[in-house]
Amino acid sequence: MNVAVAIDQIPQDALPSASEAGPAPKRIVVAYGFWIFLLSDIIMFAALFASYAVLVRSTAGGPTGAQLFNQATVAIETACLLVSSYTCGLMSLALNSRRRLGTYLGALITFALGATFLSLEMREFSNMIAIGATPQRSAFLSAFFTLVGCHGLHVALGLIWLIVMMVQVAVFGFAARVQRRLLCFSLFWHALDIVWVGVFTVVYLMGVSL
Amino acid sequence: MTEARHERAPGDRPSREMDASAPSEFLVYTIGLFVAVLLTSTSFWAANTTLLWPGGVFLGLAVLAIAQMGIHLVFFLHITSGPESTNNVLALAFGVLIVFVVVAGTMWITADMNANMMMPSGAPMSMRMQH
Amino acid sequence: MNLLGKLDWNAIPLHEPIIMGATAFMVLVVLVVLGFVTAKGAWLYLWREWLTSVDHKRIGAMYCILALVMMLRGFSDAIMIRAQQALAAGGAEGYLPPEHFNQIFSAHGTIMILFMAMPFVVGLMNFAVPLQLGVRDVAFPTLNSVSFWLTASGALLVNISLAVGEFSKATWWGYPPLSELQYSPGVGVDYYLWSLQISGLGTLLAGINFVTTILKMRAPGMSYMRMPVFCWTALAANLLIVAAFPVLTATLAMLALDRYLGFHFFTLEGQGNQMLYSNLFWVWGHPEVYILILPAFGVFSEVMATFSGKPLFGYRSMVAATMAICILSFLVWLHHFFTMGASANVNGFFGVMSMIIALPTGAKVFNWLFTMYGGRVRFSVPVLWSIGFMVTFVIGGMTGVLMAVPPADFQLHNSVFLVAHFHNVAIGGVVFGVMAGYNYWFPKVFGFKLDERWGKASFWCWFVGFYVAFMPLYVLGLMGMTRRMQHYDNLSWQPWLIAAAFGTAIILVGVVCQVVQLVVSIRNREKLRDVTGDPWNGRTLEWATASPPPAWNFAFQPKVAGLDAFWSGKNRAQATKDEPTPTRKYEPVEMPKNSATGFVTAFFAVVIGFALIWHIWWLASVGVFGAFMTLLAFSFRRHSEIEVPAEQIARFERAHQAGVAA
Repeated sequence: MNVAVAIDQIPQDALPSASEAGPAPKRIVVAYGFWIFLLSDIIMFAALFASYAVLVRSTAGGPTGAQLFNQATVAIETACLLVSSYTCGLMSLALNSRRRLGTYLGALITFALGATFLSLEMREFSNMIAIGATPQRSAFLSAFFTLVGCHGLHVALGLIWLIVMMVQVAVFGFAARVQRRLLCFSLFWHALDIVWVGVFTVVYLMGVSL
Repeated sequence: MTEARHERAPGDRPSREMDASAPSEFLVYTIGLFVAVLLTSTSFWAANTTLLWPGGVFLGLAVLAIAQMGIHLVFFLHITSGPESTNNVLALAFGVLIVFVVVAGTMWITADMNANMMMPSGAPMSMRMQH
Repeated sequence: MNLLGKLDWNAIPLHEPIIMGATAFMVLVVLVVLGFVTAKGAWLYLWREWLTSVDHKRIGAMYCILALVMMLRGFSDAIMIRAQQALAAGGAEGYLPPEHFNQIFSAHGTIMILFMAMPFVVGLMNFAVPLQLGVRDVAFPTLNSVSFWLTASGALLVNISLAVGEFSKATWWGYPPLSELQYSPGVGVDYYLWSLQISGLGTLLAGINFVTTILKMRAPGMSYMRMPVFCWTALAANLLIVAAFPVLTATLAMLALDRYLGFHFFTLEGQGNQMLYSNLFWVWGHPEVYILILPAFGVFSEVMATFSGKPLFGYRSMVAATMAICILSFLVWLHHFFTMGASANVNGFFGVMSMIIALPTGAKVFNWLFTMYGGRVRFSVPVLWSIGFMVTFVIGGMTGVLMAVPPADFQLHNSVFLVAHFHNVAIGGVVFGVMAGYNYWFPKVFGFKLDERWGKASFWCWFVGFYVAFMPLYVLGLMGMTRRMQHYDNLSWQPWLIAAAFGTAIILVGVVCQVVQLVVSIRNREKLRDVTGDPWNGRTLEWATASPPPAWNFAFQPKVAGLDAFWSGKNRAQATKDEPTPTRKYEPVEMPKNSATGFVTAFFAVVIGFALIWHIWWLASVGVFGAFMTLLAFSFRRHSEIEVPAEQIARFERAHQAGVAA
């Protein structure tokens, strides 16, 4: 018999383990690939965190974190992002049960909270710049604006993505690819909240107290 | 069916949760939110209290942050230690290892180099070179 | 407001004859190629079959073609460096002014590592891994295309820098403060930054693609310990890509922020920390060299086993060594800057780690030797490259371990001894590896073998030429010669540098032999045709397909029960050859649809990069908008797959079987 068939005829074990079950279904492949992307993104943040930690005392005679940071604002930003993570989870539940209204509602509230977070952060940045605490003032401020700004940029991109996804729900309904992409979105959104836990702890709380 | 043998997609709810005895997914998210709020409030308290010495503040904040990241991973991202999640956990562990090496390594090396470049007065060199 | 930012006619270096000559040659080659395609009326074919292809086999081939083309550019730089250093002794100035010489060695390193070695290695992995895993394509085929085209965009920007503006003069790693605006006010460093960022993004996406493919998409029955070793090394290399490239992205972004927005990460003012850059760059830079060498190791494992007619010796220890190297490669980076201010404790730790990482590599070398021992070794061209590698790489590795001792490194850091070491491992390891892979898999990719005689000639020229070119550099390093010297006073160095230039000329003959090999093979392709699909009596699944394989790779999903699945399949077929072949019913197969997304995204990437380099902000915004719209359009397409009818598959398979039987 020919070789291709002979390869096929090799007897198989009765119950293959996960590593022998052949190519995984698309949902798992896509989500795992996105998971790996998220880990790479977190490593990028790690490099920015490391730079921040190295440069945190390099204020070049300019303002320090303790002088600049407003804990009330940070607390509200944290609450916004945390609750938006929760509402994103609720959106996932609605999505899995194929409830359109629940999906749109969850997305809307998540978007609103994310947008609030961003506007608070932009106000914080512009206030700092107005008093001369610009990223060009010192290495510390360069590192601060880059780390926190990079996170904010990710949030902004996430919000754009969320809008596009809601358009896709409207156009394609709960098609498999829409479900996969929303699964990726929720992974992204939760990961951003995890990064924010690092940011508010290391930058803001340690900045004002240590 | 081979699908049942495959591992779970990261972020997907565990399939065991499908039976009635498991907590509802809504409850899982709500508990996660509640604990996260608790940890966040404690962090803000720790940063502002006078009850802790500075080293204790640093340690407390670090532990609370790591705990909260764990809560997010378990309650929002459904990362568990079950056999259907092994690849997801391994990938996460690899990521955490790299993050640790990059951050700790960078901080150790640059602190060491800064110390070696200190002038006798203790001020870093660059402060004395005003351009 | 200036619509063209910093760009004006002065950007074209009309007063530099060498650069204008090189530019003219480059433009001529491009025009000839475009003319050739037009003359053959092949534009539609090229667009449909190659430029918009999401087939991993086509993408892999394009990566390798890009690498070979950029090798010519990088090697021209090498010739120019050697010629300059052979001439500029005593009071002589040579023919290259310092401004130009600095661009050449910066371009040489950047091109060879990032636009020759990386694409070659990624290309080989692209082609072989899905076939070896017994699947039809990678996890994300369109993303694969995007990755390739982003890499090509980076290469294009580097080539544009020859004609418009200048390239970086700050070496291939761009340390500040030299790379900051204050000391590099021109566009050179910006060309470097953006071409690396763009191609780096492509590479990161490829890393994600391959990690997912290897971990989540293998033929049924192929557990981890039944994967070919090349797939293990590919897994390790791609894990390193995923882990290391984000650090490069962050580091280059910080330098860009310094240059574009006046930030103070690494500047002298504002309490910037220059060593932070060196540290972060090498956090990426060291894993990068392991990303290059691990797949080369994988090639050698495949080649040794195949041409010895024996299974690879010590499969489990090979896997363990590969994963150990993967982790360890992240723990040694400081050895690139032992001399730059760290204390003995820090140097000691990283010195010890650098020595430890030699151990798993040594284990691999022994495994390869034991694979050959007791086998019937066929000295084909891939085997010659492999044996050449064993000798050369081991020497290079030993000089590496020598420099891993910090006190020794204080003598040798930044001398040409270091240059000799890394070329020893890069050429002896990576280049020899991709050449072995190129000769080994060429018949599978294009359906005919490469000419054996010209292949052997090219190997011997490369091998001898390498030693003649680089052994003198070891001596010169010990004599005290620093690297990157445009001219020097010590006349006793000159004979060695002339010898090195002579070695480069021998390598040039080797490169010419490779070009001739390709031309001769194409001309004689019918005589060299691979009809069976298995020209080397291979052991792994890629040899179970026709040469070249059909778009769908395998008519039926292979089921695997052990290592070397194809080898066992052949034995089985031999044992049961008198049994009738049961008739199989062919099923239609769903394959991913071709897409212009990769090509168009890359076009916008070039626009963004060029615009940012020249400070043409409106054009950069247009580019970003265009790239975003391209991705949006892709995400809204309704059909992502086409169905290959069963009849087409049946026809192909019947023709293939008829060819095999004949």
